[in-house]
Amino acid sequence: MKKKSFTMLLTALLAFSTLLAGCGGNNNQASSETASGESTAKPVETEAPKEEVKAGPTEIKIMLPLNTTETPPDRIKIELEKLTNTKLTYQFYPADTYEEKLNSSFATGSLPQVTYLKNQTTFIQMKDAIKDGQFWEIGPLLSEFPNLSKLKPEILNNTKVDGKLYTLYIGRPLARQGIIYRKDWADKLGLKAPANVDELLAMAKAFTEQDPDGNGKKDTTGIIDRNELTYGAFKTVSSWFGTPNTWGEVDGKLAPDFTFPQYIDTMDFFKKARDGGYMNQDFAATSKTDAVNMFTSGKGGLYIGGSMQDIDSLNKDTIKNFPDAVLDTHSMVAGPGGKFAQWMIPGYNNVVLFPKSAVKDEAELKKILAFFDQMMTPEVANLMYWGVEGVHYTVEDGKAKPGDDKELIEREVKGFKDSVIGEYETNGMYQSYNVLPGRIHAEELVLENVKVGVPDPTAAMDSPTYTEKGVELQQIITDATYKYIYGQIDKAGFEKEVENWKSRGGAKIIEEYNALYKK
Amino acid sequence: MQELTAQPAPQPKRIYKSNSELKKRLWRNKWLYVMLTPGVLYFIIFKYLPMYGLIIAFQDYKPYQGITGSDWVGMKHFSRLFTEPDFLNILVNTLILFGLNILIYFPIPIILALMLNELRGTFFKRTFQTLFYLPHFMSWVIVVSISFVMVTMDGGIVNELLAYFGFEKINFLLNPSWFRPMYIIQVIWREAGWGTIIYLAAIAAIDPGLYEAARMDGAGRLRQVWHITLPAIRGVIITLFILKIGSVLDLGFEHVYLLLNSMNREVAEIIDTYVYTAGLRQGQFSYSTAIGFFKSIVGLIMVMTVNKISKKMGEEGVY
Repeated sequence: MKKKSFTMLLTALLAFSTLLAGCGGNNNQASSETASGESTAKPVETEAPKEEVKAGPTEIKIMLPLNTTETPPDRIKIELEKLTNTKLTYQFYPADTYEEKLNSSFATGSLPQVTYLKNQTTFIQMKDAIKDGQFWEIGPLLSEFPNLSKLKPEILNNTKVDGKLYTLYIGRPLARQGIIYRKDWADKLGLKAPANVDELLAMAKAFTEQDPDGNGKKDTTGIIDRNELTYGAFKTVSSWFGTPNTWGEVDGKLAPDFTFPQYIDTMDFFKKARDGGYMNQDFAATSKTDAVNMFTSGKGGLYIGGSMQDIDSLNKDTIKNFPDAVLDTHSMVAGPGGKFAQWMIPGYNNVVLFPKSAVKDEAELKKILAFFDQMMTPEVANLMYWGVEGVHYTVEDGKAKPGDDKELIEREVKGFKDSVIGEYETNGMYQSYNVLPGRIHAEELVLENVKVGVPDPTAAMDSPTYTEKGVELQQIITDATYKYIYGQIDKAGFEKEVENWKSRGGAKIIEEYNALYKK
Repeated sequence: MQELTAQPAPQPKRIYKSNSELKKRLWRNKWLYVMLTPGVLYFIIFKYLPMYGLIIAFQDYKPYQGITGSDWVGMKHFSRLFTEPDFLNILVNTLILFGLNILIYFPIPIILALMLNELRGTFFKRTFQTLFYLPHFMSWVIVVSISFVMVTMDGGIVNELLAYFGFEKINFLLNPSWFRPMYIIQVIWREAGWGTIIYLAAIAAIDPGLYEAARMDGAGRLRQVWHITLPAIRGVIITLFILKIGSVLDLGFEHVYLLLNSMNREVAEIIDTYVYTAGLRQGQFSYSTAIGFFKSIVGLIMVMTVNKISKKMGEEGVY
């Protein structure tokens, strides 16, 4: 009996510690936000050498998202420090969980002097804090910096909060989305690049049913999409259908895109594509990685929505599996009325903020801005964007041609590449020298896209309700859109969800935007 | 949980007549107290001090102003939680998953342990046990990815088999009615073997003489299990049950979050995933702290209730 109770005690203790470990996870949800953020926040920090230099290079800590799996080595950083007389500490965090890291560092007041956000959505979420005065306003200082003042005013305008500028932007082409498709498949079936949405559906159908890879099996799909309505296929196709970009005008008033009939048409398009089996059936649960893998492993022939410039990496992986594969890009797909349209981003994909909690005074802020000013010289911009000349790229015809060792570039340069302020027009860095025909075509299409580009009329507007719950409310519409495509709800059901959106704050967002729109 | 911190220390029952006697006692047991210190510090630093952070559930927490500078808003975030249209749904989802855990998952390790115990030959026993608990070491990401590959409609093996035998393909990943079965199957696959460890330890401590006596009396295998093994591990079962109840609203955030998508949100959104989306992804710190707080309180109440009940029934309970 004594033996028994001893075992009992042991097992109880063991189980207890398991419980406590479990408790820790959620009891401390609050605490991990308040207390332990600092300690968990530094897995991939690259520390600068700790020697004191008399001239005193500016010490700057930078936090930014990382789109590769490994933290880049110091090679670029060391060059960068030499060029700019700084001592840099880069804190790279995986882009997948960047929001989490951003918010927990923010909650614990441990953001570094230079904080990159992740995308427009994280920017919207930060707006409250920006209005609260937690970040430095930099607008009035820009004119003191010759290079920073070159930044495009129309894009800066899109990043303003309450008419004031707090951020520097990372420029991106206004409309780079389109189709990347298997040209070899299309050629084999005698198909041309789709000129309108009907031909697009026909191509998806043909890719599914007519055995384009010629292996005698019906094992191919037309469109490969992923669980993402904006940067996946949906929004791009919807702009071809003529849906406005996020918000559009009806009778002189702004209304959200999902209240337009073209939005329903787009949903019908995808419903048809999915019901017919012309797209991957589980696209609502397919990650970007899975989607890319499906495409490069020859399961599908149309990759829509992402940047057409991604053709480089898609091509690289596809020809590994199918040496004869030919990829091409395409974006001019007319809507049912024969009209062309492309949705546009506001010219940036990310911004940088300077937290007051880390940057003590204006003098320090100016020092940091001086670093960014240098970043906008061709020399520094090229180093960060292309790497070291002769190692990562060579110059041909005044353009940068990436070296053959793609893995090396990805490992050493990619981390810095995504943080370059401005675009080649403003920071003077090399444009890319392309060899792949599909990529050259993509660059032409990017310029064509802008000609029929549709901007988001609310890009520079500020609705308090949208800032507070816009992202949360959007989930209702996103869910409803998927449910419609999967046939779980019909048009009436979708409209009910739109009403739900309105009643939970959407109506107020419409009101607030329209109040600004009239001004 | 304060009891636990005190548990390793011997509780002197006497009341000391003078200070000096107490000092003498303390001095005599000094090494016990020294050994106790790290544990106590651990609980103070990592379990009790962080509770200070719960304050922000009653504030409109603004990081720049900190806890001292943020405005007090009383129960605002709690009332928002209880009036949120989704709240009831989320709570029900959480409770249903918890119910599945208790009803379907909880007995399985016990049955498995009893079965393993009936295996003769240490070699088989060890091998099977190892095979059963290996999945525990795979992260949820891997478990969910494996299931994704197996059940996707685009060439997943399960659906291919269904199609081969002339059945209709099933949309496991996106169909709300398949979410709960998928969830519980994955939990069982990953955790059942691991759960047997404690039961096997308890079974190992049973006096072999009892079995011998039972066999003399003509009891078969099943009789022995029913009359000896089960009663002997009853205490352990009850202890683990109480602990399980304590984590009532705690279902493994990562697992559910990975399975969650737009199509099954109505059944798959649970308190944990909601806290994550509202708190960390959308930066509503105070609100999500309030939800977490609510969850912990429910857990605490449940443990205390069940513990009381089990004590009333003459069992040992956990404290």
